[in-house]
Amino acid sequence: MAVKNNKIISNLYSLIFFLLLVAIWEIICRTGSVPANILPAPSTIIYSLTVNFKLMGLHILVTVFETLTGFAAAVFLGMFIAILMDGIPFVKKVLYPLIVTSQTIPIITVAPLFIIWFGYGYLPKIIIVVLICFFPISVSFLQGLGSVDPDLINLLKSMGAGNYQLYRIVKLPAALGGLFSGLKIAATYSIMGATIGEWVGGKDGIGVYMLRAKFSFATDRVFGAIIVITFLSIALLKLIELIEKKSMPWTGYDKNEIIA
Amino acid sequence: MKNKNINFRPMILFMVLILTFLPALTLASCSASSQNGGPLIKNQSLQKITVVLDWVPNTNHTGIYVARDKGYYAEEGFEVEIIQPTEGGAADLIAADKGEFGISYQEQVTYARLANPPLPVKAVAAVIAHNTSGFASPVEKNIKTPKDFEGKKYGGWGSPVEEALIRALMEKSSADYSKVQIVNIGASDFITSVQKDVDFSWIFYGWDGIASEVKGFKINFLKLQDFDKNIDFYTPVIITSEKIIKDNPEMVKKFLKATSKGYNFAISSPEESALILVKNAELDRQIVLPSQKYLAAQYQADNPKWGIMNEELWQNFSKWMLDNNLIKQSFDYKNAYTNELLP
Repeated sequence: MAVKNNKIISNLYSLIFFLLLVAIWEIICRTGSVPANILPAPSTIIYSLTVNFKLMGLHILVTVFETLTGFAAAVFLGMFIAILMDGIPFVKKVLYPLIVTSQTIPIITVAPLFIIWFGYGYLPKIIIVVLICFFPISVSFLQGLGSVDPDLINLLKSMGAGNYQLYRIVKLPAALGGLFSGLKIAATYSIMGATIGEWVGGKDGIGVYMLRAKFSFATDRVFGAIIVITFLSIALLKLIELIEKKSMPWTGYDKNEIIA
Repeated sequence: MKNKNINFRPMILFMVLILTFLPALTLASCSASSQNGGPLIKNQSLQKITVVLDWVPNTNHTGIYVARDKGYYAEEGFEVEIIQPTEGGAADLIAADKGEFGISYQEQVTYARLANPPLPVKAVAAVIAHNTSGFASPVEKNIKTPKDFEGKKYGGWGSPVEEALIRALMEKSSADYSKVQIVNIGASDFITSVQKDVDFSWIFYGWDGIASEVKGFKINFLKLQDFDKNIDFYTPVIITSEKIIKDNPEMVKKFLKATSKGYNFAISSPEESALILVKNAELDRQIVLPSQKYLAAQYQADNPKWGIMNEELWQNFSKWMLDNNLIKQSFDYKNAYTNELLP
């Protein structure tokens, strides 16, 4: 109980600090020292968001669709590659450096090329989401798989466990923590990835909407779209956290107990 | 020991949820986009055509949106999808077959056709009869002639044409080009950038100029064509690929017939056209309406009909580009455009 109270209080601090920042921002804008097209006041942003929300409906739907599709594909692909790399050391030797290198490519520079290669549909956006989400998922899952106590593996092997049993009984449970931390990192970036993809070209989506708002010199609408992106990202993160809690009922107790 | 079995159920549930949710979402977004403009004539035989804009939809593109929403394209047997690409014209995308028609500019068509290997794109209609662009600055910067560029900061997007234009204009009024500082402002908008980082920028009067008027932001505007008739080039133009013209000239003709009907409507009814554009792209109505009224007089201007391009303009600017070292070899401008497919 005491733990829970502490958590609420620490959340409260963060909320108060956030509100303070927003208040300062509002005051600065109200004094008129910053033109509204450079930095609109929070109240203006909220107002324009409520007024324009209906316009954004379809765009939000499209972005959510691209994100979820890309995210789901990245989960399957990331887990598959991680298990492959864990099971066959040669594959890890070949793939791991490539995967790390692929992450050093700035997405924003290749995004316009994706349009030329894959067209204007949803595909290039989904690919960008997969590229962004794949890395944290596969790497943290791989690390989790490798973190199992070798003695435990030897024990199971000596008891005649096959590969499937090895993963099912020891490796997966041990790697689940790693997998979920990867999933959470991926979730926070995924909406952003889809938006970058839309920004460089498309028919609809939050990125397309933002560019149009900017073109109309409507900075308040751009900020409104940013709020929507933040909200969607947090919602996805919270969803992953919920699944994590349900999947790993033992977390929140003593973590060492599972491994020991 | 506590329960150390993984509970797979929530994960499986989540995956099932996503897999059932996605098709529903796809359907929703598809039906929503087909509702979003376009006549409700359900005709399976309509040919799908993609038009790639040069950037965000704006009043340069109104005729295309009008032709789509008023059913002019459907009358010719087309279902048109309009795409907003990243900034900077559609030449590479049209050359890569990512759409049948695109919006580009004369200088881009020139560069595209001189590229190695050449991008086989061709201009088939001028959206606006003359160049309405120019250099704009807030009045308090006091930039009234190219001579006043001296000691000022220009905000651009790093194209060689900008530098050449500024140099040419300044040399013409015997000013010192080396005294201008050129900064890349990327995609930031005109009003914001001239308030903060730079002194003047290159704009389309029909959009940024009108927007400044609407917002009560006073500017000085130096229109290019007033300084040198050689730099009155076509911007924007509608392009297509040589291959499409060769294989399917009838399609191009039909498309241009409907498009020209759309632009003629935009010329005669700017108010209604403005509403059509606003409905399709989430733009500021306060800017679109006056911009549409301004452009209504510019689309066709002194031409006998909308879309016509004059050889003189192509010739002058091609020569100007060569004289200013923007291109290395003389440009075969005669093959870069055609009026023959216009209605």
